[in-house]
Amino acid sequence: MQIEIKFLGIDGMYVKTVGRLDLDTAVEYGTKIKDAVEDNNIKELVLDFTEITFISSFGLKIILELFNNMKAINGKLKLKGVSEQIQNTFKMVGFDKFLDIE
Amino acid sequence: MFNTIKSKITLISITMFFALSIILTGFTYIYYKNSKTALIWSYYYKVKHFVQNINNEIISIEDNTKDMALIGNFYYEFGKDKLIAENSVAKLFSNYPNSLGGGIWYEPYLINSNKRLSCIYAFRNNDNQVVIDEAFESEEYDYLNQIWYKSIMPKVESGKIVAWSVPYYENQGSNTLMVTAGSGIYDNNKNLIGISTVDWEVTSIVKAVSEIKPTKNSFVLIADIDNNFILVSTDKYLDNSNLIGKTLDNIPWYKDNLKNVTYFTYHHTKYIPYFNTLDNGMVIIVNVPKWELFKGVVISVLGLFIAFTLICLIIVYLLYRMLDNNIQNPIDKLMTLARKISNGETDTTIVVEKPEEFAELAKTIDTMAEDIKLKTKESTRINSELSIAKRIQESSLPNTLNPFPNRKEFDIFASMNPAKEVGGDFYDFYFIDNNKFMFLVADVSGKGVPAALFMMTVKTMINNLSQLNYSPKELIEIINKKICKNNDQGFFVTMLAGIINTETGEISYINCGHNPPLIKTKNGKYEYLKMDSNIVLGAFADAQFNIYNTKLNSGDILFTYTDGITEATNKNQEMYGENRLQNCLNNCNENSPIEISKYIKNDISKFTEDIAQSDDLTMLIFKFNDKSLSYEYKIEATHENYKSYYNWLNDCCQKMDLSEILTNKIGMCAEEIFANIMFYAYPDKKGFLETTIISNEDAVILEFSDTGLPYNPLEKSDPDITLPPEERPLGGLGIFMVKAMAKNITYLRQDEHNILTVEITKEF
Repeated sequence: MQIEIKFLGIDGMYVKTVGRLDLDTAVEYGTKIKDAVEDNNIKELVLDFTEITFISSFGLKIILELFNNMKAINGKLKLKGVSEQIQNTFKMVGFDKFLDIE
Repeated sequence: MFNTIKSKITLISITMFFALSIILTGFTYIYYKNSKTALIWSYYYKVKHFVQNINNEIISIEDNTKDMALIGNFYYEFGKDKLIAENSVAKLFSNYPNSLGGGIWYEPYLINSNKRLSCIYAFRNNDNQVVIDEAFESEEYDYLNQIWYKSIMPKVESGKIVAWSVPYYENQGSNTLMVTAGSGIYDNNKNLIGISTVDWEVTSIVKAVSEIKPTKNSFVLIADIDNNFILVSTDKYLDNSNLIGKTLDNIPWYKDNLKNVTYFTYHHTKYIPYFNTLDNGMVIIVNVPKWELFKGVVISVLGLFIAFTLICLIIVYLLYRMLDNNIQNPIDKLMTLARKISNGETDTTIVVEKPEEFAELAKTIDTMAEDIKLKTKESTRINSELSIAKRIQESSLPNTLNPFPNRKEFDIFASMNPAKEVGGDFYDFYFIDNNKFMFLVADVSGKGVPAALFMMTVKTMINNLSQLNYSPKELIEIINKKICKNNDQGFFVTMLAGIINTETGEISYINCGHNPPLIKTKNGKYEYLKMDSNIVLGAFADAQFNIYNTKLNSGDILFTYTDGITEATNKNQEMYGENRLQNCLNNCNENSPIEISKYIKNDISKFTEDIAQSDDLTMLIFKFNDKSLSYEYKIEATHENYKSYYNWLNDCCQKMDLSEILTNKIGMCAEEIFANIMFYAYPDKKGFLETTIISNEDAVILEFSDTGLPYNPLEKSDPDITLPPEERPLGGLGIFMVKAMAKNITYLRQDEHNILTVEITKEF
């Protein structure tokens, strides 16, 4: 998978990912983002889901972790370009209730 | 068997041996004959010499007798002085030492008319003194009645000058066997008045005669043939002590001893008789044993013969050795050389110095070996080029082992076995767009390199043209035109080609002078696909072609091939043929193209046995698949393997034509189960996961099986998804999702296996 990180303003970060978010990739994805957030005191994290084709429970776990992490530092997590299918998945596990999906 | 030089040399040698032997035997025989004749003559003269001695003795006795008769004449005619007469007789007699006695004897009353008997007889007494004994005049002795007198007198009377008595015993004391020679005494008027005698002891004759011994066992006969008495015989088988009164008829071999007899056999021995007549008319016959006579000659001739034979043998052996050395040995050497050369040892040389012809031949063979070496190099180069060409040709044909791993709607297998290194047959297949699949089987007329080169051109050209979106009819016409155009060598091509829509199974196909293909449809039997054949490609540039259309159903198998299969020939010159091919296919229970191909090839090689393949063997088998399929996959449940696992899963979904949503659902479920098995079934070690995916009309069924610790994911309680995010546990989501997506989910622990079955409906 490809992970592309851009910094926006003082404490904003934009992450574009291409590929699957699954058992194979989720840990790497999560670690990279968490490290970047910590290193750069990021308060606003935007995850671009446009090119993400698939998310499994391992992906969901990372998303939940990131959400809780951001919440703990009073930051925000936003999801962009989430496909209908992935939105359905979020619904299935009740993530739609708290995730900020554009 | 006499065709080899060696046997001819042997034959010549044996012939030479016999020829030389015959010549030498001839010479030896002539020598033998001549030697025999010479021997016979030399003995003739030898015997003559002995006989001459006896004859001389006899002559001297006879002369003595005649002299004695003269004394008798004197005594009678001149005074009858007895003393003078006695002295004369004694004197004359003493001159002849070999004689026993001698004297003169008168007829009755001639000397003294008062005295009947009158003689003068001298002899040697025991002291070897010559004495005169008057007792011989006595009436008691009565010489007139003695046998010698009686036997001599008649002969003298009949005119004989000297006559011989038969042998007799002297009865006046000495009692010796003797013979007496007698001569007539005449008065001056030539009247017979008495006889003179000289006595000869037979033993002394025998002594003389026994010296006549030309060989050890010779024996002698002295006889008076006229008067039929034997004087002496030294025949050891006869009683020679008493020959008195014996006539010649008493001698068994006598008749064989006459003049002119060459040989006679006596007591198992062959004799040669030498017959001689003495001067007094007696005969003396010397019998020489033939063997003793010829022994020397025979031995020397035999020795000569053996020596000659040995010489012949040596000459012939030397001749044989010479021929063998000069012909057979060089030939053997050259044969060894030729064998080595034909075994590829072209560096071998052999030195043959003589004879010069063979030396020349050896040089020629060496030159030939050099040439062969060069030619071999050349042909090795050509062969290696050919095998490169073979590899190029092979690689130009598409790979047939799983050529389209993503396409499960059909299976294809093709093979081409060229009869030579390279062949004129070819096949090809490729997609000309997303679901239009083109395949073809073709046969270029001819074989080997020319056909292969042409085949490569045609194959490339067809491949290029078929990518250009022509309709099948346009495509085949353009192909034909191009083949006609670039065809100086007059090649033509038979071809069977088809374009299949892999979605629908619709197929357009064409047959250009090629063998009809077979198709196996739902009824399970292979049938020849009925169609009219078009003209071969490359014949006429403006030829028209008929295209046929049909539809393949799921499970249908298309079998295409070249004539190398139907025209494969066995040792009885029978061809494999279309019927046999059809029967063989129908007997084959295989459904996979590669297995079908193996089965057919096996049957053909059983049919042709050891007969070499005469034409390229090519077949292409296409199987159109059912879309409702199941796939299986076994892999170790590890992190590293997860990527290939989901790739496989995605491929399956694609092949089964599943929607993206369904594919994602399946992916989520499978991932969760994969992870669970990895973490919980195999917590401490690696283990296998076997996954089966089955797609039927309204659902997809996933079956996961592992041999890990018993683990039932369904026992986990569901997470509360209404909790706020910060209170939510991080685990447990996955299995919850699986449960949410599945229509049906079951767990089974069976035979040490965890078996989890998940059924996901195809409905939205």
